[in-house]
Amino acid sequence: MLLHRFIVPCLIATAGLTARAAEPAVAPFFQRHIAPFLKGHCADCHDADEQKGNFRVDTLAPDMAKADSVKQWEKLFDKVASGEMPPKKRTRPPQSETTALLTWIETGLKTEGARRQATEGRAQRRRLNRIEFENTLRDLLGADIRVAGQLPEDGTSHGFSTVDEALTLSGVQMEKYLEAVDAALDTALGGTRPPPSTMRRFTYMTLDKSNQFERERFEIGKRLGNSVAIFSSNDVKPPWGIREFSAPVPGRYRIRVKANAYLSRGQPVAFQITSGFFFLLKGAPTQLVGYYSVPAGTPTVIEAEAYVQAARDSFQLLPFGLPKMKVQGGVKEYAGPGLEVHWIEIEGPLDGQQWPPASRAALLGNLDPATATEADLHRLLRDFAPRAFRRPVAEADLAPYLKIASAQLKQGASFEQALRTGFKAILVSPHCLMLDSAPGRLDGYALASRLSYFLWSTMPDATLLAAASSGELADPKKLHAQVERMLAHPKARAFTENFTAQWLALNQIDATTPDQQLYPEFDALLQFSMLRETRGFFDEVLRKNLSVLSFIDSDWAMLNQRLAEHYQLFAKDGTQPVAAEYSSTVAASPLVGGLDVQRVALPPGSHRGGLLTQGAVLKVSANGTTTSPVVRGVWLLERLLGAPVPPPPMNVAAIEPDIRGATTIREMLDKHRAAEQCATCHNKIDPPGYALENYDVIGGFRERYRIIAAEEEPAKTAQGKAKKPQPRFKPGPAVDPSDKLPTGEAFHSLEDFKRLMLARPEPIVRGLTERRLIYSTGHGIEFADRATVAAIVADAKQNNYGFRSLIHAVVRSETFLNK
Amino acid sequence: MNTSLTRRTFLRTTSATLALPLLESLLPRGAFAAAASGPRRMVCICTTLGINAENIFPKKTGRGYALTPYLEPLRELRESFTLFSGVAHPEVDGGHSSEVTFLSAAPHPKSPGFKNSISLDQFLLEKQPATTRYPNLNLTTSNLQESLSVSRTGVMLPADDKPSVVFRRLFINGTPAEVAEQTHRLAEGRSIMDLMGEEARRLQRRVSAHDGERLEEYFTSVREVEQRLHKSQQWAAQPKPKVAATPPVDIPGTADFAGQTRLMFDLMQLALENDSTRVITFRIQGQQAVPPLPGVKEGWHNLSHHGKDPEKLEQLHVIELEQMKLLAGFLAKLKATQESGASLLDRTSVLYGSNLGNASSHDTMNLPVMLAGGGFQHGQYLAYDPKDNEPLCNLYVAMLRQHGIDAGKFASSKATTLPGFQTA
Repeated sequence: MLLHRFIVPCLIATAGLTARAAEPAVAPFFQRHIAPFLKGHCADCHDADEQKGNFRVDTLAPDMAKADSVKQWEKLFDKVASGEMPPKKRTRPPQSETTALLTWIETGLKTEGARRQATEGRAQRRRLNRIEFENTLRDLLGADIRVAGQLPEDGTSHGFSTVDEALTLSGVQMEKYLEAVDAALDTALGGTRPPPSTMRRFTYMTLDKSNQFERERFEIGKRLGNSVAIFSSNDVKPPWGIREFSAPVPGRYRIRVKANAYLSRGQPVAFQITSGFFFLLKGAPTQLVGYYSVPAGTPTVIEAEAYVQAARDSFQLLPFGLPKMKVQGGVKEYAGPGLEVHWIEIEGPLDGQQWPPASRAALLGNLDPATATEADLHRLLRDFAPRAFRRPVAEADLAPYLKIASAQLKQGASFEQALRTGFKAILVSPHCLMLDSAPGRLDGYALASRLSYFLWSTMPDATLLAAASSGELADPKKLHAQVERMLAHPKARAFTENFTAQWLALNQIDATTPDQQLYPEFDALLQFSMLRETRGFFDEVLRKNLSVLSFIDSDWAMLNQRLAEHYQLFAKDGTQPVAAEYSSTVAASPLVGGLDVQRVALPPGSHRGGLLTQGAVLKVSANGTTTSPVVRGVWLLERLLGAPVPPPPMNVAAIEPDIRGATTIREMLDKHRAAEQCATCHNKIDPPGYALENYDVIGGFRERYRIIAAEEEPAKTAQGKAKKPQPRFKPGPAVDPSDKLPTGEAFHSLEDFKRLMLARPEPIVRGLTERRLIYSTGHGIEFADRATVAAIVADAKQNNYGFRSLIHAVVRSETFLNK
Repeated sequence: MNTSLTRRTFLRTTSATLALPLLESLLPRGAFAAAASGPRRMVCICTTLGINAENIFPKKTGRGYALTPYLEPLRELRESFTLFSGVAHPEVDGGHSSEVTFLSAAPHPKSPGFKNSISLDQFLLEKQPATTRYPNLNLTTSNLQESLSVSRTGVMLPADDKPSVVFRRLFINGTPAEVAEQTHRLAEGRSIMDLMGEEARRLQRRVSAHDGERLEEYFTSVREVEQRLHKSQQWAAQPKPKVAATPPVDIPGTADFAGQTRLMFDLMQLALENDSTRVITFRIQGQQAVPPLPGVKEGWHNLSHHGKDPEKLEQLHVIELEQMKLLAGFLAKLKATQESGASLLDRTSVLYGSNLGNASSHDTMNLPVMLAGGGFQHGQYLAYDPKDNEPLCNLYVAMLRQHGIDAGKFASSKATTLPGFQTA
């Protein structure tokens, strides 16, 4: 909004100038050739009276400099070039007239776009988003900085929170950045000394009968000499929080658990560790530490390190995959499997083990602040500024920062206070907070930053800055080598995480909770595994330089045991895979064992392969209760097929899902597809959505919808508490995944649909290329960028559409190398 | 230019207390008129374990209702408050989790991806930046610093649980070292913001117009922060108000919630009377522990799940009646405090209610809600459809409007007040 207000007057001003200059040349041609075409072939439906599709040609100005007229001309160009307009049933204009129109538009858009990109630059200066800022502070200060949570959430544009338009700045945000920098400097320089680290051992043995929480431990847990076997149950809230521990301060802690699987037919048992406060009346937020697995028999020690977010927090263990025991039956007689816990050790705060932190000495340049001088102060700031600004800083540009620190000294502040002031000013300065470059070709440093925020979501490291300084990034071979180095670096994990989070909306995985009645099999481990699957898949394609078409289909998958069970993928011969954990949900043996996601070949008829069949993708494109072909169709077109869809008209109500089973979504949708004005878009949107109809809201394969069974009173426990709702679904109407593409080709399953998609790979690769260019350059694709995109796609084809090759092609493209 | 000058002059005049009698003389006499002209205040209180509906809601609606056991302590104040039933936050479920949405009405607080939204108090402050030393106070009896207040970004703002600490902050001037540290931080912040303003201007000359817009945005942002810090600096230079009250002594533990609530109420009255702040939230956290009240033998939370057991209901009655007595005491004090022709209560909207309608079944519909003071027409019991509740946010909008904020909507509101409820 804010941005919009600034841009408009400026663009109007430029537009006025261009129009004046161009008028003598353009206007006669426009009047003679273009205007008659528009009037003759378009105005019937797209004038002031009709305005079909919210588009009118009678007001279209011939100049290509105005932001909104550029969009209109682009749209007109695409519709006419693709043959979609004028409509088939109308008289077609002669080919020569159409070609003249298209050439005229193309030349105009290209020339104007190129001119603007050359003088103003394509991407606008933008601030770092909160993840980038946190990572940058961490790298700059050399300390475990966590400030993203206290910064306001960033907006998105074109689906990404790295895009210039979305990253606006306000006073409140500025104040938060200032506070974040203060907190970061406290951590790095050592603010308050944390209490000394201690190590304590706990068991679940202690029993305070007056406390309900501890009483419940022995309703679903059994003492076994010096250990306690813990079971799963729906009857009580898990009492496995370690009540005897309470973190004295937030910070890093180490937890060790000695445990083994109990009565599990020799199979390992999986469990989860979380941190948080588990003893409140209500559920306070908890943080996942991780999932672990212990074998039967020999007690095994699991060790993990976790950042505890609040004082008073503790840890909790939770076994997974076990059958749910009934409290009424009594724990003594219970003979089901469990997790035998011998002890739990908690050590920390680990930050208390080294004080002051190592980052302090580094930032103080090993000086003693008591004897350091103003010259020392200036030297430290002179060293710090170029790293923070990601480029060399001229003495004149540095002067204000030295001055503000010196002023502190003169006012009687201590050396450390003055240094902090200098650091603080540098960290919130526009040079550090914002990514900048001059219009035209990026210099070495700007290129280094662009690469680094693309592949690492953080500032360049020393090696990359050295490459920027020596000018070697201008050499395509050296640039290639840098990209290879960066992708191999552990920091490249940020690319997988942040790019998939935004591209595939995996950051919204928590946005809905699957309906417990319809999808009782959903649990936290499944969701965790889904994310691992998609990130693992992305990494595999990237690492092995596999074709990006693998995103559409593949004959392999990244699975762990939980996913194999969920997807109903079992070993044919019935042999248990190595280290398969105990599971109460399946009798057959899963294709994969254990918690780690690993690559497996998919058996025929698996209904899996590519991103489209992955749980995470299917979950974020559904609402937890129902799926809609419209929502999934739009999702797929925009994110995977690179074809954005216009928003629906305001006066059309969304379809009301019905899980009673009377009507299917297809029956409801077919009505509006029959209407001509809806059909234009829905003929494109609905088919990919229908193709996914065999996949439910948590990615399970279905041939019939699940519907709610008849209403019944929830059962009560002996204490009069309402029990957890029991599964109340039954099979409903059959699913029909068939439809036809706008081209008329019919499909009857997702497999068919994928085949049709893969027959025309270019649009898919173009879409993927555009997504990567937007994310990496922080700006949407303009008409003038189309040639670059086409060149990258052609280049990718030469390299069998290898993902890694595509990234290299993006990096050496003109669009990436220029502002 | 002209308008901004007059506005500034106007602000300067109204902010000076000297001008108040003058303003009053221009307006018709009477308490309501005086209440309307003076500063507006808002207090929002939530008791998190519900209030047993049978003991609070009268049989008859409207003005002539017979006092129920829980309303008995409020007998003298019955013309100063309105009681509502049949109100709720639509789509707020999740039992105890709804504690965090009492003032925000954000839907489905128990869902894993839940994101809270701005609370009523923060919304008010956003629309009407505070002119008092402290923009607001968030208080709680929870030892976990849980508050009712939520930032626009959905972050719960921490609450103070130690009355002694708040008292010190409001009324005791800092030690020279503390004052020096505070002064240093503010001055440092301002000088950095000053420098950044110059940096942005300098950079702006070097970059393209396109990028220049971004630097303009940056420049505006640092100016805003600079001005905010400046305001804090001015307050730091002024001595805090002196009060006769003795500093409170904190009550440790979670059992004696009644004693803790009393200390907080006293503090709230002092803060409002001395104009230290005009916006207060207070979360009375229901606890597991057994409160030291006569006849109470079980923990409060257990008792709230009474399952209609008469013995438990009796003990719960003691606890809840004690709460109503404490509230009555607070309201009476506000009413007795005069401020340039009006009582403090007339200028303070006091919202009191619970996020649970029926704590025994964790029901978040049919919330018990009262609104006292604030210049509304009181004295009624307004009951709405128990099956089709009115959005509680409608009342929140009415409260905002009383502050002169022309909010058409807040969170899940559907109207600008509740049916039958009006300003005086």
